[in-house]
Amino acid sequence: MVLVLILLLPLIGGGAVALKGWTGSVPWLAVASNGGALALGIWTAIRVVNRGTVAGPGGFLRADALSAFMVVVIGLVAVLASWLGIRVIATELAEGSCNHRRATTYGVLVQAFLAAMLLAVLAANVGVLWVAVEATTVVTTFLVGHRRTKGALEASWKYIMICSVGIALAFLGTVLVYLCALHAGGHSAGALNWTSLMAHARHFNPAVLRLGFALIVLGYGTKVGLAPTHSWLPDAHSQAPAPISALMSGVLLTVAFYAILRFKAVADLALGPGFSRVLLVIAALLSLAVAASLLLAQHDYKRMLAYSSIEHMGLIALGAAAGTPLAIAAVLLHILGHGLTKSVLFLTSGEIMATEGTSRIDGVRALLSRRPVIGGLFGAGLVAVLGLPPFSLFSSELLMARAEFNAGLGWAAMVAMGAMVVIFVAVVRHARGMLLGPAGPSETCAASPAWVAAPLVGGLVLCGLIGLFAWPLTDLLHAAAHVVTR
Amino acid sequence: MTEGWPVLSVVAISLLQVIGVAVGGPLLVGLMRKTRCRLEGRLGPPIRQPLLDLRKLIRRERTQPEHASWVFSVAPLVFVSATIPIAAISPLVATHPAFASAADLFAIVFLLLLGSVAIALGALDTGTAFGGMGASRAITIGALSEPALLVAVIALSVPARTSNVPAIVTRSLAHPVWLATPQRLLALVAFLIVIVAESGRLPVDNPGTHLELTMIHEAMTLEYSGSDLALVKAGASMRFAVLLTLFANLFVPWGIATAAGAGHLALGLVSTVAKVAILGVGLSTFEVAVAKLRLFRVPELVAGAFVLSVLAVVSALVVP
Amino acid sequence: MFSPTLTFATGAVLVCAIGAVWMTSVRSLIRMVSIQGLALGLVALILGIHQGDGGLIATAAVVAVIKGFVMPFLLGRATAGGSLVRETRPLVNVPASLVIAALLIVLAFATTRGIGRFVGTAAGRLVPVGVATLLIGFFVLVARRRPISQMVGLLLVDNGIALVAFLCTAGVPFLIEIGATLDVLLGVSVLMVLAQRLAGELGDFDLDALQELHD
Repeated sequence: MVLVLILLLPLIGGGAVALKGWTGSVPWLAVASNGGALALGIWTAIRVVNRGTVAGPGGFLRADALSAFMVVVIGLVAVLASWLGIRVIATELAEGSCNHRRATTYGVLVQAFLAAMLLAVLAANVGVLWVAVEATTVVTTFLVGHRRTKGALEASWKYIMICSVGIALAFLGTVLVYLCALHAGGHSAGALNWTSLMAHARHFNPAVLRLGFALIVLGYGTKVGLAPTHSWLPDAHSQAPAPISALMSGVLLTVAFYAILRFKAVADLALGPGFSRVLLVIAALLSLAVAASLLLAQHDYKRMLAYSSIEHMGLIALGAAAGTPLAIAAVLLHILGHGLTKSVLFLTSGEIMATEGTSRIDGVRALLSRRPVIGGLFGAGLVAVLGLPPFSLFSSELLMARAEFNAGLGWAAMVAMGAMVVIFVAVVRHARGMLLGPAGPSETCAASPAWVAAPLVGGLVLCGLIGLFAWPLTDLLHAAAHVVTR
Repeated sequence: MTEGWPVLSVVAISLLQVIGVAVGGPLLVGLMRKTRCRLEGRLGPPIRQPLLDLRKLIRRERTQPEHASWVFSVAPLVFVSATIPIAAISPLVATHPAFASAADLFAIVFLLLLGSVAIALGALDTGTAFGGMGASRAITIGALSEPALLVAVIALSVPARTSNVPAIVTRSLAHPVWLATPQRLLALVAFLIVIVAESGRLPVDNPGTHLELTMIHEAMTLEYSGSDLALVKAGASMRFAVLLTLFANLFVPWGIATAAGAGHLALGLVSTVAKVAILGVGLSTFEVAVAKLRLFRVPELVAGAFVLSVLAVVSALVVP
Repeated sequence: MFSPTLTFATGAVLVCAIGAVWMTSVRSLIRMVSIQGLALGLVALILGIHQGDGGLIATAAVVAVIKGFVMPFLLGRATAGGSLVRETRPLVNVPASLVIAALLIVLAFATTRGIGRFVGTAAGRLVPVGVATLLIGFFVLVARRRPISQMVGLLLVDNGIALVAFLCTAGVPFLIEIGATLDVLLGVSVLMVLAQRLAGELGDFDLDALQELHD
């Protein structure tokens, strides 16, 4: 029942926006509904850690530790993004680049997007998971193209084309896994339930499952943004409005990775850890190479953030390749930290773009002196995303490296660290130009209002706190890791 | 392959086939022309007009371009003499003509190709612009249509488990259910498109055109006159007749003579003539309705035939 | 009776894919997609009747209606306003595309026979047909310059995968199949709207014109 409520709350928010339009306090209602979903998610997580899996009505929805954790991550980023979304839409309505009807459509689609992501992580059946992920692709296409500029339309075309092909391949992979399940004696209606797959995994035909899992990694990997099918990511994440970029970079990528993790558990039972390890290592190292080589030449700070997302997805894939419970726990911690940090970064960059008017790196100067709050947020966010202490990304990267060394992937960890050094240099170089330097005498800027800056500061502080004191989460993380590493 | 058939019968069959094709080819062309004229509301020339044309041409004087070499004079001979063996050994009237064991589908397609290449070389040898143009166009089309023809017949040979054409016909007779399979249908469509392309009929080439820039086959034979032209025209009509008859007997083999008796042979002859006549009239009716394709779209058509024949082979191999 | 009709219907799906490579006019492309959708529904119907599975028959009806009528209708609406009648400058010309399509068919049959053998049923032997359709759809997606051709390529990929699903496992559970078809339908609608907006911005554009975002 709780699970159904988690799904319904964002939809209720969306329904309110659809009925009353984007006026007055209706958008805040949407934020509140997302907050409610987050609260229920936290409650479910506590319940799962203490009393075991929560099941929804009819066996349709299911929350084990991994699902509950993902709900919490989605909830956190959703609250941040919908809160700041009010600011972004208000600015657009004020300057006339958006009319009331488009704002309403935006509001409804965002809530539908959130509901689809929640359905994906709460689904008991991998087929429903697929339908939900495909639904997110369809819904977000319009959100990416919200601004109707030529660049935004081009980005949304590329996005839906590449991701639809990827999702279709993931469907073929799902069909092949279903074929294995049927032949291993699974009963047709429930054979695609994840628990049923795990129960029968040892009897699956290895050759067909190998092909199916490879297609799953390729297909869902397209949505994760892993190379070589990453080319939609920089375009889509840079052209979308800031809250959408935050949601996509912060959680959508990791929801797709959640799907890969679920299938990885099945594949590891049937084929042993070697096969998935090879696939994930290849994808991870390719992604890191792409991010490292292209970050130096960026001219647009939103594209820079998008390539940083590719880098972090590569790190996550490498951690998952190691496959031990410690590695998966570190991966999940990294998902949480990246979700918080990247969304704060994108939302801050949205603020910067609104007031500076350009998304070019060389068009923004001396942020720290002119706009200390926003500049500070941006700088701190970059520090966090580069994996520096005290933020949680530092601890998660350290833990992942340790797990990789223990699992015999030390060489890959060294390559990853080399890439991270290159990325560090590139990002610092870009950020230095944007943040440092004296303000000109005639430049006065209106500071961002407190209600805008507060959630962003809160997000970064939360990330820092988690980095310092992870203890509230350790039980949940370990339980979630043990779900996929039997 | 000729076990049970007396040698004399077999030789007689081959001779009959050669003469039949030599005489019947021009008659077929005349029939098609007559059908077309009638459909267009004209009376048209008599059916035997192409034969009369040949007789007229044989008596005319031969001319040769100034810079042409022996290739120019030899080409029509090679053209016709490549077609005669096909007529002799293919199962046109009976299933066991002379040298039936040599009637491998690769050999037949090779002989067809030999004829096409000979005419193209003769056209190039004239040194004129139209000759070169016609030759290049014909070879472009041939580059796709010959493989399509080969693969389509291979698709037919897979269920029969032999590449010997008379044997394919014999086994198709024994298994009428083969006709209803999808690979037969695909091979049929591909074969038909190839026949249209190879013989230079609409929509690939208009045999009645007077405009040199729209010609493909005619452009290659512009410089021929007299007995050379007679040979070229005869060869072209013989090729067309042989291809149509092979098509008819491979896909609708009933009626062909399976034993060496006079009655069987007569029946075989009558049924073959009937089948080819019906096909010719049908093709002619289709030609009235269709316009000539633009030249650069002809390779698209023939490539499509190639894909269909590949699909026919694949389905013949995979689907029982 | 079952095996020949199933072979015909599956063959029709593949022939429509070849037709989509062969034809260059927009109307023919949409007609090919429509016929392919109906053939796909026919495959599901034959399998459903053979196995006595009511759910599969219902799925067949839904698939035939949506993929055979609704989606071609939407595609037609998307291209109605434009002056584009024919794909004029494909990246790979038509005869070469057809030869490549033939090679892809051979490749599909050569490499995926194993899955067919694993499935074991008569329908399983036709699985390579679905894979061939998928590969041809991929090729159309990559080698054409007009948005309508990319949309057709995407639909070919989806239909090929749906065909594999029907032949392998008699489809995935009903609910998921419906969800999948609806998702594809929504995707096509989104693409249609996007194409119209892009055409509004850029006129009858070539996908090479989408060059603004790059590194």
